[in-house]
Amino acid sequence: MKKTLHHRSLTVSGMMIATLSLISINTIAAEESKKQEDAKPAATEQKAQTPNPAGSGIAKETRFPNIASGAWKGAKLPDGQPDIQGHWSNTIGNHNNFTDPQGGLPNDPNPNRAPKNAREDRAPSRVSDPADGQVPFQPWAAEKVKQFQAKFHDPTEPQFVEPLARCAPAGVPKSLYWHGYEIAQYPDYVVFFFDSGSRIIHLDGKPHLPSNIKLWNGDSRGHWEGNTLVVDVDNHNGKALFGRTGEFISENGKIQERYIFNEDGTRFNYEGVFTDPTVYTRPFTVTIPARKWTEKDTPNGWHFQTSIATHSGKEIILDHEERICSENNGGFGLGAVETKK
Amino acid sequence: MNTQSIPYALHRRGLSISLLLLSSVLMSSLVTAPVQAAGKKSAPAATAKTDQKIPRLANGKPDFSGIWQTTSAADYDLEPHSNRKDAPPSAGIVDGGEIPYLPKALEQKKKNFEARATDDPALKGYTLGVPRGIYYPEPFQIFQRDKDLFLVHQFGHSVRTIYTNKTDHPEDPNDWWLGDSRGHWDGDTLVVDVRHFNDKTWLDHAGNFHSDALHIVEKWQFLDNNTIAYNATIEDPNVFSRPWTINVVLYRHREKNFQLIEDYRYTLDYDQYYPPKPDKK
Repeated sequence: MKKTLHHRSLTVSGMMIATLSLISINTIAAEESKKQEDAKPAATEQKAQTPNPAGSGIAKETRFPNIASGAWKGAKLPDGQPDIQGHWSNTIGNHNNFTDPQGGLPNDPNPNRAPKNAREDRAPSRVSDPADGQVPFQPWAAEKVKQFQAKFHDPTEPQFVEPLARCAPAGVPKSLYWHGYEIAQYPDYVVFFFDSGSRIIHLDGKPHLPSNIKLWNGDSRGHWEGNTLVVDVDNHNGKALFGRTGEFISENGKIQERYIFNEDGTRFNYEGVFTDPTVYTRPFTVTIPARKWTEKDTPNGWHFQTSIATHSGKEIILDHEERICSENNGGFGLGAVETKK
Repeated sequence: MNTQSIPYALHRRGLSISLLLLSSVLMSSLVTAPVQAAGKKSAPAATAKTDQKIPRLANGKPDFSGIWQTTSAADYDLEPHSNRKDAPPSAGIVDGGEIPYLPKALEQKKKNFEARATDDPALKGYTLGVPRGIYYPEPFQIFQRDKDLFLVHQFGHSVRTIYTNKTDHPEDPNDWWLGDSRGHWDGDTLVVDVRHFNDKTWLDHAGNFHSDALHIVEKWQFLDNNTIAYNATIEDPNVFSRPWTINVVLYRHREKNFQLIEDYRYTLDYDQYYPPKPDKK
């Protein structure tokens, strides 16, 4: 009652502006951060657990550990699933740039925001196969991506507006490198509560929806193989672009995902194989590192987007505010709708 | 009324009407008793005889996990009404029949009703709010743990969290589309206090509305394994002269392989622009 939705809209818009301005900070920080060795998850953890001040921006690991699929030795839920519930986020950057996660926006009209360091000193491409880190687009699709990147800063036609800016669901895979998110588990389900849209992973083996039904978040069927959640994504509408760099899949695409959790359940790597013979020349693999956040961390408004609950006890209990943007139905939290009147 | 909008409204509701009629025929024998009981008592939850075999969590609390939907016509109009072009007739779900509006608010409600074919926020795909999401004619799924219940509504894929971890409302929060929900158990009844709403949602398609002072107390109780009695007391000193109460019955979806299908209605105006397609030659 005390704060109106206008306030909230401003907050959301402000966050977008903040995101843009943080790119430069991010880039500078990436320069300063020391290159981390591949096989040093301990060092990574130590760094990651240092509490960030509120609104401290987007994470910027430049290297992350490999995690092998194998047995799960950690805690299990009564139904036998590995217990990986909690708050998670990506560790290398947001959706500004899909293949150069710390590389800033291509064709950025503000040269100060361009990365100052060498490519090899930034996080690797999210495309881990092929080795060149590029999406193997067919020529027509590569041309469309190029057009999108050229027009992104001055979207003179509606297709050049990034759909997440309209509060459309972030979809697959972008939800995994937008804000932090919560994973909850139930008998027959793993559910991802993302900032912009939710994914319900069905574990009960039911068939996919009829093929003419297309969804922003696709239709997900999963099962556990040891420490790995294996998910088959079908019924994808292809509308949620992969980032502000405009990479995409079509409604003919299929995605095979593996969420591989480390031994102590503090990290996972996402490995998704994207197949679409109408857009790509071959399947390719997307790798996205993620880390867990707990009560020991300080909520930071982005990756660990929680608040501390009010209660009579002394222990820290986490709250999560209403997931506002997508569930709020308008560009930047109704800003577009309100100004239309 | 904007007559151009009527066919749209009818189209939108056509399936629901058919389902409603079918369901009422199939279920009349099962449903009549609890519905009548619910309609006559202000607190049916307290009087309902709960089957001892209802689903329970490991901690012994009733387990509402599942996909639920009402067969009532509540979303057309909470109050008693005759049939009209965009709604089937219904005796309503408000205890005592009518909503106790303050005089000025009643004028606003009448304006809303006249403009419902264009102004109903649900037609724009907006999050439905509380309690409307519960009796809107689309399913919602409850995911329940000891510490919380997540309600995922098919319409808008909106996510509402009901905390059952002995926490209180935040002290100085934003206003929310779905409010802030804190629940506790009174025996086998889940009692939920919901406040900190915005004023952007309607309570139904007939223009019943509220302000940001809305305060709701919900009571959820099993009537049997597959049926929930939902009771909500609605309070808003800016709009109503006294608190008032609604009752609806929710049925579990038991169709084979039934699942939610995300319904992001508000993206339909622009989704044709994505993804890029090959140029036509």
